[in-house]
Amino acid sequence: MSILAGVDEADFTYLKKQTGATSGNLSVQIDKLTAAGYITVEKGFKGKMPRTTCKITPEGQEAFRSYVEALKEYLSAGK
Amino acid sequence: MEQNKEMTAQESLALIARTMDSNRKDIIRKGGKYFILWGCLLTIFSLLIYFLWKTTDSGAWNNLWFVMPIVGYGLSWLLQRNEETEPVQNDVSRTIGNIWSAFGIFACSVAVVFLLYSKFGSSAIGAIVAGASLSAQIVLLFGLAETISGVVLKNLTIKMAGFITGIGGLATYYFVGANEEQMLLFTFAGIVLAATGLIVKRQYK
Repeated sequence: MSILAGVDEADFTYLKKQTGATSGNLSVQIDKLTAAGYITVEKGFKGKMPRTTCKITPEGQEAFRSYVEALKEYLSAGK
Repeated sequence: MEQNKEMTAQESLALIARTMDSNRKDIIRKGGKYFILWGCLLTIFSLLIYFLWKTTDSGAWNNLWFVMPIVGYGLSWLLQRNEETEPVQNDVSRTIGNIWSAFGIFACSVAVVFLLYSKFGSSAIGAIVAGASLSAQIVLLFGLAETISGVVLKNLTIKMAGFITGIGGLATYYFVGANEEQMLLFTFAGIVLAATGLIVKRQYK
């Protein structure tokens, strides 16, 4: 989500490279985020190679922003 | 327990910040190579046209400028194809791309207007004036695009380079006049563009 929050869209290979996650692990995360409505996934082809593109939704952006705010509030409350 | 939870929250925030920052820098840094590519092309084409114009005493070699975008987009496509992943855009890279696309459209349009006017214009003097100011207009547009890029990239050197190339280029043009020497303005602009790419690569390391 940290990556997708700052870009227009990103494909599976890019996300895998940036996160260092395994394909299986990343697929599970993508499925969960899609089910929650936080990202949209578009499957297509680049030449003959399959290509999965992920894009954060406005709901995803809002949820991510709220999460970061909550973390900050939690930390500042503990000080 | 509380300490442990706090560390986890801190680590989460730090990880998010680190990931976002690293990703942002990575995308912008990758854009640096396109500055270098177009800068090298501009330098090569301007020197080539300068040389041909000087040796044959014919300004018709200026038509070679229309080949540069074809070569440039071809090489950009090849660079993208060799990338491991599809190009990813963020606000900064998209804005920079739009700035230079607008510059390209304006520069080509100004050149086409001049060509049409010089072929079909009713006034011979008007055609000469339009032709005489073509390089000046394009170098000014270039300076503007470079300066705005510097603003977006928050880099004073790039902003200053844009101003010097645009305004300095315009002033130099008025001294040099409408001859083959004006091509050297674009050689300078090409070097500035390539240097911008190197600055971007270093700034966003």
